[in-house]
Amino acid sequence: MSENIIEVKGLTKKYGDFTAVNSINFNIKRGEILTLLGPNGAGKTTTIKMITGLLKISSGKIFLNGKDTTDTPDEIKKISGYMSQKFSLYPLLTPLENVEFFAGISGLKSKEIKEKKSELKKIVPENLLKIKVESLPPGVKQKIALFSALLSKPDILFLDEPTSGVDPEVRRDFWFEIYELKATGKTILVSTHNLDEVEFSDRVIILHRGEIILSGEPEKLLKEYNTNSFEGIFKEVIAENEKA
Amino acid sequence: MIKVENLSKSFGAIKALDNISFEIPKGKITIFAGADGAGKSTLFKILIGLLKKDKGKIFVDGEISENNSEKLRKIAGYMPERFSLYQDLTVEENFDFFGEVYGVEKPRKKEMKKTLLEKTGMAAFRKRRAGALSGGMKQKLALSTILLSSPELIILDEPTTGVDPLSRIEFFNIIEELKNEGRTILISTPYLDEAEKGGFVVLMKGGKILKQQELKELKESFTPKLFRLTPSENIFKIMKKLVKDSNIREKFYIRGNFIHYLHTGEKDFSVYIPHSESIEIPPKLEDIYIYYERIFKGKEGDIN
Repeated sequence: MSENIIEVKGLTKKYGDFTAVNSINFNIKRGEILTLLGPNGAGKTTTIKMITGLLKISSGKIFLNGKDTTDTPDEIKKISGYMSQKFSLYPLLTPLENVEFFAGISGLKSKEIKEKKSELKKIVPENLLKIKVESLPPGVKQKIALFSALLSKPDILFLDEPTSGVDPEVRRDFWFEIYELKATGKTILVSTHNLDEVEFSDRVIILHRGEIILSGEPEKLLKEYNTNSFEGIFKEVIAENEKA
Repeated sequence: MIKVENLSKSFGAIKALDNISFEIPKGKITIFAGADGAGKSTLFKILIGLLKKDKGKIFVDGEISENNSEKLRKIAGYMPERFSLYQDLTVEENFDFFGEVYGVEKPRKKEMKKTLLEKTGMAAFRKRRAGALSGGMKQKLALSTILLSSPELIILDEPTTGVDPLSRIEFFNIIEELKNEGRTILISTPYLDEAEKGGFVVLMKGGKILKQQELKELKESFTPKLFRLTPSENIFKIMKKLVKDSNIREKFYIRGNFIHYLHTGEKDFSVYIPHSESIEIPPKLEDIYIYYERIFKGKEGDIN
């Protein structure tokens, strides 16, 4: 198997005259945590949607395990899990109902669904299992959202703003779980607005106006730019790109 | 400038604010940091008079503020978490509307509009409908409209939640300028890295205050030391060990290829992690927050 689980070549998305993503090239290595960073409108969500087959690409190619899957986007969709702290659960359903629903659409058999429900009981306190998700504390919601995203046993996990509004300690625990998933070989793609979260990942790609303007390992980039926070780097590369 | 004593507010059985006291210095940026449910919005709403307190006292410039925070309202500009703009009006029309609401005189309004549009970098968008602006620009417009009344106190409830990093940086540049003009600014945020931009910080958790101090003092007086360990063994093997013992696991956290260790007591726990290098690094506000939160859980009432 190739080192890259996904390869993206010349990926482009146009809406009429507007180019949302402009011929970008990058790889996602198997088992890495890769962060996509950028202002709104930089093309992060568009890129993720194209990779996961939710949005038709204008031009370019996408490879899964070295095989061209540009015309068969379902192949990547099948092995992907998606989690967003704010949006991926049904707020009016209880935790158990959410899990039942997501297990159902993930194609789990009724015996497996039962097992998953009892697994959920281990991570969510009993008194919270039967109340609507909308009234749960953010940390608990986050746990259930991650649990649901993993029901289909995905190889690639997409995390969209996974930790907004949660307690610092809860965030730390969440990332411990993400590292545990990485340990089991899962590939993780994160899209975040939190600049300090970049340091959790193995690699970061900064997008601006539909193009990749910087990529690399956080530790090396911090050294290269001689700073201790990503805010400085981010400001600098965006300013440079805006001049250009 | 503002002093709050023993303030409490409950919603049914939930204590949103639990007997908190604090003082806000004049002419500084004070940041209230904590997760959703910490009580930040409730606190701001009480200060501005949108919610009634259950008990406690609020003083403004040494004077007790009783009648629905009237004095505070006069000097403050408040931007709620979900701020309101007229989506169908242009940027300029929003300005004119809010200017009238605040009773700003015409010549002054004209001048303010020009200054504020330039300051926030919105001059080029004056004819655009507010509804067609990006999230970051809406936020800047909302901030500009509250500045029309030239408030000496500015209260911003989670102004940057959901706002992209670039707009956040720009937003804080504007806030810094406002501070330099001598205004007092209160901001709430769930992001601890953002609280690093404050002059004074109030760390909140579950309706209580974990710690309140000048940021610089808070950092300088923080005695535990943070070390960055380079593991000499496979990081996942180490994690497996950590999972088995939650008391030990608490001492460490992973950041990329490194393990961070906060040395708090006499015993050096770093020996649990086989490592080739250990470097002392400056603790972030997150390390400080979690440290005080744990002390708080252990012996409540021991912190001020």
